Amino acid sequence: MLDEWSSNILQHDPMRLYRAKRDLEHRTVISKYNILGFISSGTYGRVYKAQSLDDEHGTLHAIKKFKPDKEGDVVTYTGISQSAIREIALNRELSHDNVVALKEVILEDKSIYMVFDYAEHDFLQVIHHHSQTLRSPISTAVLKSLIYQLINGLIYLHSCHVLHRDLKPANILITGNGVVKIGDLGLARLIYEPLQPLFAGDKVVVTIWYRAPELLLGAKHYTKAIDCWAVGCVMAELASLRPIFKGEEAKLDSKKNVPFQRDQLLKIFEVLGTPDEKEWPSLVDMPEYHSMKRLDYFTNRLSDWCQSRLRSPQGYDLLRRLFIYDPERRLNAKDALQHKWFHEDPKPTWNAFASVSTHQIPPHRRISQDEAPSMVPIPQHASLQGAHGHMGIPFGQQSKPGSSTSLSGGGHYVQSSGTRKKARLQ
Amino acid sequence: MATDFWASSHYKRWIVDRATLHQARLADLQYVDNPEQLDFLSIYFANLITKLGRKLQFRQRVIATATVFFRRFYLKNSYSETDPFIVIAACCYVAAKAEESPIHIKSIVQESRTVFNQEELNGRPWTTDNQKIAEMEFYLVDDLECDLIIFHPYRTLLALCKRENTPLSTSEEGEDLGIGLDTDDGPRYWGTGEGQLELPTGALQVAWSIINDTYKSQLCLLHPPHLIAIAAIYLSFIIHPPVRPDPSTIIEHESATTTPESHRQPRRSTRQANSHSSSKKFQSHNQQDPIAFLADMNMSLPLLASVSQEIISLYALWDQYKEDMAPDAARLARELSGTSPVASGSISPAKRSMSRADSLTQSYGSQYFGSLTASAGATPVTDTNETLDTASSVQEGVPGVHYVTPAFLSLLVQRMREAKLSDVTPSAQGSSSGSGSINVISGRKMAVNKRLERMQAAG
Ligand SMILES: Nc1ncnc2c1ncn2[C@@H]1O[C@H](COP(=O)(O)OP(=O)(O)OP(=O)(O)O)[C@@H](O)[C@H]1O
Repeated sequence: MLDEWSSNILQHDPMRLYRAKRDLEHRTVISKYNILGFISSGTYGRVYKAQSLDDEHGTLHAIKKFKPDKEGDVVTYTGISQSAIREIALNRELSHDNVVALKEVILEDKSIYMVFDYAEHDFLQVIHHHSQTLRSPISTAVLKSLIYQLINGLIYLHSCHVLHRDLKPANILITGNGVVKIGDLGLARLIYEPLQPLFAGDKVVVTIWYRAPELLLGAKHYTKAIDCWAVGCVMAELASLRPIFKGEEAKLDSKKNVPFQRDQLLKIFEVLGTPDEKEWPSLVDMPEYHSMKRLDYFTNRLSDWCQSRLRSPQGYDLLRRLFIYDPERRLNAKDALQHKWFHEDPKPTWNAFASVSTHQIPPHRRISQDEAPSMVPIPQHASLQGAHGHMGIPFGQQSKPGSSTSLSGGGHYVQSSGTRKKARLQ
Repeated sequence: MATDFWASSHYKRWIVDRATLHQARLADLQYVDNPEQLDFLSIYFANLITKLGRKLQFRQRVIATATVFFRRFYLKNSYSETDPFIVIAACCYVAAKAEESPIHIKSIVQESRTVFNQEELNGRPWTTDNQKIAEMEFYLVDDLECDLIIFHPYRTLLALCKRENTPLSTSEEGEDLGIGLDTDDGPRYWGTGEGQLELPTGALQVAWSIINDTYKSQLCLLHPPHLIAIAAIYLSFIIHPPVRPDPSTIIEHESATTTPESHRQPRRSTRQANSHSSSKKFQSHNQQDPIAFLADMNMSLPLLASVSQEIISLYALWDQYKEDMAPDAARLARELSGTSPVASGSISPAKRSMSRADSLTQSYGSQYFGSLTASAGATPVTDTNETLDTASSVQEGVPGVHYVTPAFLSLLVQRMREAKLSDVTPSAQGSSSGSGSINVISGRKMAVNKRLERMQAAG
């Protein structure tokens, strides 16, 4: 017969040997990275700035720690969330200059850490810098380079049959060298032979300002054309420093019915005019067609809108094509990249900031102490606050790896097996 | 990525050679009497994944993905050091998410309890809870290196074969066939020179089942999925021989097309969904030569022969495995391999198939099949005869035919795990006597143990 300990293990903790082996091999986040500070908190996680301890250059990274799944208000541990699986799985397959690179994923102590290459800026930051600090528009050379690279990245995603579904200025990153990196694939989906159709209804958290009209009118499926609409919105926002269609989102009613997004549609119609069946034959089939018909009628004035903001007939033409109502006829990413606007001067550059002086480049990303200190050890250095993330913090002044209670690697599982081991030895 | 297999993690990191497979099983080999038992375990675990997947109402593709996860996990780990049941549960849980059809953790806990407690567990109930599954999922995803997008042969099969012939449109698989096929255009990942193949009704179904069956072995770790698909098509031809193109039809057809030298309408790589019907119509005029089609695929015929042979070997092995539901295609293809222990007086369909295959070979000459058969014979790893010999030596002196059963395999796993445990606990060595004997023997299990002893003696 097996001794009691062995049969106990077989019965109650069958993966013990396995875990012990794996935990031994595991390298913790803080043994590999020096956490410099907290960057931002998004829908799905908290993002930290970190420096690699393994390479001598101390390469910078952004580490995204996923929030645990919640069921109601209670944090229940039900495993890895669908969106984390999605973002991880897609990122593992993707590799392109204009898509943010995932360096590794660390699974530790019930948390998931995605380690990305660090990007110093993002589109939103550039917009703020120009509207708040410089109080001047983004130069055409920069604007064109940013859009060119964005479209170039989108062509790649679409060629891989990946829809981003959440393109907006905050999710489009730029490295210190002026290279655009599409980020946040948390909502991205593979559309190649999906087992389930991509219902637009599944937990949409996408900002309404970048949402394509067909979705607002009740279309049930996501398509590549929806990403292309968002590119148009982003381009317009870079040109005018404010969202072009800044509608009020109608919230779900008490019965959780998806409401008709009246205000957002009106904002679109005010600039692009009310769509008609001639330009968009399937319009009549849209679920919200009748609600739409009740709205005031507008004519298209995009050309006026572009006059002062894009200052190029070709620029206007590109935007007009990205804003074609009929998704079937809307410009796709491939054709967009071939657009004449990109062939006229100033030409797009791979360093989007190549043409501008240093003060026009937005400041480095701010990092701060984590307001949720239980997450990741934070440098005790209070002076870090407000520092513009310059790498002036010597390692010695950081908390030492392992000094944090919160990150102690694999704590829970290791501990429980430890107790069992003790029980056996007695 | 999604269409480019050659750029995928699947191709770059997870196609391994036989030596790697062997290496991965070294630890387990210590605890079995006969290496073949590990191959039976391979079938057994795949069957359990299918069982659990069915309970959870998974589509075939989700089951296939879960199976690939399982195989990959055990490239790095040993059966004896883990609880394969909880690994199976976690594989199913992750596969559901990876294939965008998530299920609640409660369902996986509940259904895995139901399924695994039907196994022979030596009196110990199999328990699990949310916590355990979630914990296992975590380690699993880590061991899978977060590579969760899997390519399957089904896609190649459907890409190659006309959907009009799909007899499965109402079946469970039919849903798999139906959904999303036309959602996107784009080049197929498996290569160039594609046309579409008219597979006789029935043959597609057989090919589909053969693909299902390949997951019972390690084939998904050894070969790119398109190769497995093509081998499955090839085998399905043997069972459902294609109608030989009548020369007059070809002439007629050629005069009907604009380019007489091409039999096949080259498939446009960027086919728009709305032009689909017209291209379909065009293809339905195509009377094509399936053998030429296979030969035309720019692929190595010896390789194809070798994969086909491996599939046949799997059936030969499976032949000794007894479970209630043996799939139809399995039986057919098994008979194909000529290793069926079931003597049948009447001419079985597969026998007919065989003779048809012979005539196929004759009529198409050695340019295709000649090389196929020749190289198949020379493939050392998949020597059917050898498998047979081993199997029959095991059955020597046994009245009637003996099978390996799930109950036997379930006990085998337990025995392996117990033995492993006693190896790592020095103080326990005395009490749990080596040789890994199963201690509790009920009367019902005697046969199994007799057989086990015999196998030990033989090994
Ligand atoms: N690679 C990176 N380099 C630098 N900062 C980054 C990086 N990735 C993300 N960030 C910052 O963290 C923020 C949140 O990241 P991300 O958008 O991936 O998280 P999220 O939870 O999915 O957010 P969202 O609410 O936008 O969906 C970004 O807006 C950006 O400011």
